[in-house]
Amino acid sequence: MTTERPRHKWGMVVDIDRCTGCEACVVACESENNEPISEEGHFLQRRAMEWIHVQRYWEGEFPEVKARFIPVLCQHCENAPCEPVCPVYATYHNNEGLNVQVYNRCVGTRYCANNCPYQVRFFNHWEPVWPESLRNQLNSDVTVRSRGIMEKCTFCVQRIRRAERQAAQDGRELKDMEFQPACAQACPTSALVFGDLNNQDSKVSRMAKDQRHYKLLEELGTGPNVIYLKKVDVNAHA
Amino acid sequence: MEVTRRNFLKAMGTVTLGTVVFNACRWPEEELLVQSPWEIPEDMVSGVDTFYATQCGQCPDGAGVVVRVVEGRAKKIEGNPDFPLNRGKHSARCEAGLQALYHPDRIQTPLRRSGERGSGQFTPISWDEAHQELVRELRSRNASQVVLVTQPLPGHLGKVVHDFAKAYGGQHIQFEPLERTVLRRAVKEVFGQDRLPDFDIGKAQYVLSFGADFLGTWVSPVRHSIGYGEFRQGEGRRRGTLVQVDSHFSLTTANADEWVYVRPGTEGILALSIAHVIVSEGLGDRAAADALTGGAGAQALDAFRPQRAEQLTGVPAAKVLEIARAFAANRPSLALGGDSPASHTNGLFNLIAIYSLNYLVGSVGKEGGVIFNPASPLAVPDSSSTATLKEWQGLVERMRRGEVSAAVVRGANPVHGLPAATGFGEAFRQVPYIVGFATVMDETSALADLVLPDTTYLEEWGSVVPDPGPGHEVVGFQQPVVRPLYQARSFGDELLSVSQELGLELAQGTMREFLLEGAGKLQGLPRGSVRSATVEGFWKGVLQRGGWWDVNAKANGDAPRPPRLPTQEKLPSYTGSPTEFPFSLTVFRSLSLAEGQNAHLPWLQALPDPLTTVVWRTWVEVNTRTAAQMGLKLGDMVEVVSPQGRIMVPVYPHPAVHPDAVAIPLGQGHTAYGRYAQDRGANVLSILAPAVEGETGALAWGATRVRLVKTGESIDLAKFEGMVPAFPVSEEEAVIQITTL
Repeated sequence: MTTERPRHKWGMVVDIDRCTGCEACVVACESENNEPISEEGHFLQRRAMEWIHVQRYWEGEFPEVKARFIPVLCQHCENAPCEPVCPVYATYHNNEGLNVQVYNRCVGTRYCANNCPYQVRFFNHWEPVWPESLRNQLNSDVTVRSRGIMEKCTFCVQRIRRAERQAAQDGRELKDMEFQPACAQACPTSALVFGDLNNQDSKVSRMAKDQRHYKLLEELGTGPNVIYLKKVDVNAHA
Repeated sequence: MEVTRRNFLKAMGTVTLGTVVFNACRWPEEELLVQSPWEIPEDMVSGVDTFYATQCGQCPDGAGVVVRVVEGRAKKIEGNPDFPLNRGKHSARCEAGLQALYHPDRIQTPLRRSGERGSGQFTPISWDEAHQELVRELRSRNASQVVLVTQPLPGHLGKVVHDFAKAYGGQHIQFEPLERTVLRRAVKEVFGQDRLPDFDIGKAQYVLSFGADFLGTWVSPVRHSIGYGEFRQGEGRRRGTLVQVDSHFSLTTANADEWVYVRPGTEGILALSIAHVIVSEGLGDRAAADALTGGAGAQALDAFRPQRAEQLTGVPAAKVLEIARAFAANRPSLALGGDSPASHTNGLFNLIAIYSLNYLVGSVGKEGGVIFNPASPLAVPDSSSTATLKEWQGLVERMRRGEVSAAVVRGANPVHGLPAATGFGEAFRQVPYIVGFATVMDETSALADLVLPDTTYLEEWGSVVPDPGPGHEVVGFQQPVVRPLYQARSFGDELLSVSQELGLELAQGTMREFLLEGAGKLQGLPRGSVRSATVEGFWKGVLQRGGWWDVNAKANGDAPRPPRLPTQEKLPSYTGSPTEFPFSLTVFRSLSLAEGQNAHLPWLQALPDPLTTVVWRTWVEVNTRTAAQMGLKLGDMVEVVSPQGRIMVPVYPHPAVHPDAVAIPLGQGHTAYGRYAQDRGANVLSILAPAVEGETGALAWGATRVRLVKTGESIDLAKFEGMVPAFPVSEEEAVIQITTL
């Protein structure tokens, strides 16, 4: 018996030297993935939802002050700390490098969120509600998660599947940059690039080899499939 | 898709199955209504999505978008990859247009005021009745006493409104809350251009930006950001350097390699000082230097010697030398300015000085510099004819004297967007007859006698000639991607229909037909991205691609002549004495809510401000140390008092605000505008002095001084910061790793 080598290994490169912190990715993600509207009260309870969000870090004080931005999303770790703690296998690793959340298995223990060092898992503390007219916008390719369910970035798996289906239908291989998740598609500076890390010629593979590459909290050994490229600051104190 | 027997049966099969499945859901009636085969447009197949190219109506920069539509409902807005201005990219504001379309507080039918003005009591009436009333009122009034107020409309709709006003005899006024008047005047005086230029940031090596938040909210942020990505890490080029000279710490400042703090309103002096260094050290273009100084050389700029500039601007002389030398050496270099330098009473002086720097480094009309835009290929008005504050004050006077008998307002909200001190709101209430075209009831339409349900940009025909364009001719075409909701009717169609009844000489038919006529003119050129032997073929082509452009149709004409640089400085003046009002007030556009136009959209309300991460609120940024000295903590409510009024806002202690300044974003403080905007935060425009820029009469929104008064109250300020625990910040495991490569 032979095991077939997985064809794709999906990954993303985040160039924080390009990122301006404009947050186009945030709304693109919310729109594509039917995330509930984060009301003011949700923020006050620290329960707002942003699958991808931009963290801002201050350095120094006026006038020697700097602000730095970093977009953070699910890192789709190879050794994901969220996976082994799930008692019902609602979160698992698929053979294409995706950390997958199976909504209808999830029973809401929140162990996974507790164990995620990147804090990118979000729990539905309430039944998501939209006024009737706003429901027209909901993406028909994506399930609306109900109360008690954990959710997070999926690398827009619906877009991956659609592109794969289309390629299969046309009888061809998937092309590099044929599709992008909503965040990378929107990103005005092209700081986010998504693609197949198994394909050595893909843009994401080439960028991942940049000498500026690093991984978030690498020392934890989680093996993220999101690769960051360092911020360049010529005036930084080395 | 062609409707063949086979396809038809396939579609019917899906619909029938849909019916069965949806019967098990909670709202079978609504679902069936949309699913009903009678309602299906010819290009709709159940379960198959369609992508329509159109124009973004959310921001003034005129991006092209593609909207994903599934079964008659718009699902997602994405950048149009073909469109030369934004090349597939878009902003958060752009994306949220869907919520404007499906806003739960959309006005559904024409409404007639039934209570006191401003009471919010309206009675629904039919469109027939509303239309007859509008025609009757316009016919019976003295046309010279009728004003049409709209947002800037750079396209066919603008042409319709303009022509209507002309034929009818009324006045058309375009409203822009933070005006670009000063910028346009400066571009005219420095470069002799009528249209704003494109800034080639992607190919520039050194960008010197004075105050312009060009990555966040200034002019064409998506286009600038595309260039910025290249500027930073584009393949085959050296990383560019961005120096931001600014009194306010904006999103762009945060991304700069270096932030040079300058006293607000003295940016022009600094620019002239940089010019002094370049000219005196002979680092720049000799001919340009001669023209700029009238042949006198550095002597003409003697008033701006770095040592003297240091006293006026607060920027050390050594720093001025350093910037000037780097700016001259690292070509192509680009100087641009806006926002803060334009917001003072000496705004034009500042911008003329800043933009003139481009001549010294040969960046005018060159790659990596300032690239001019050709005139619009269609005879449609551009957005430059917006009214200045001075003109608004004139209108307020006329309203007070009873010389305005009717006002028709569309897409503009001057009651919220003009400084309260102009008295516009009060005067407007005295106008005998007001018609408001609106999608969601805002402060201005809430005062109307007749409110008409307008379509959003996703439901109507139109065009946009982006200003600034990408350096060549572009016309964006806008088509309805979904059927108009409720009883909404497009403003253009209604105006054309009214004009026909009034017997005015205007285009006949509908907006679509008028647009088709414009397409015919483009087709007859014949050049550019879409070419066809027939108008019909051309029409299909432009609708499919989202517009027409000709990359070879660039601005031509003689190289502009450099202006003569000022020899004496002009300092800004302020309203309010420094002793009584110790803080200068910086007013800035919100990244998501802009000047308040987007405040009704929940996605944008919930989008954290990039620097403070505050959501759903207005806040005042106070320097961390100043706040500590005053005993102010995060969320403490203070009264911000100006000579014109006071507002109550929570404090955000901010490490990057000057100790003598406070900053407040625009956007909130709505008393109407739907459930997500109403009664939320404060409107900083209500305390702004009605100061004007000396030369142009534009609003000088940086000319107000304020003081802070503690109230003792405190709120929990909603923000993203702290939502998730911050990552540990240490040398070994830094989250944001830095390299000096």
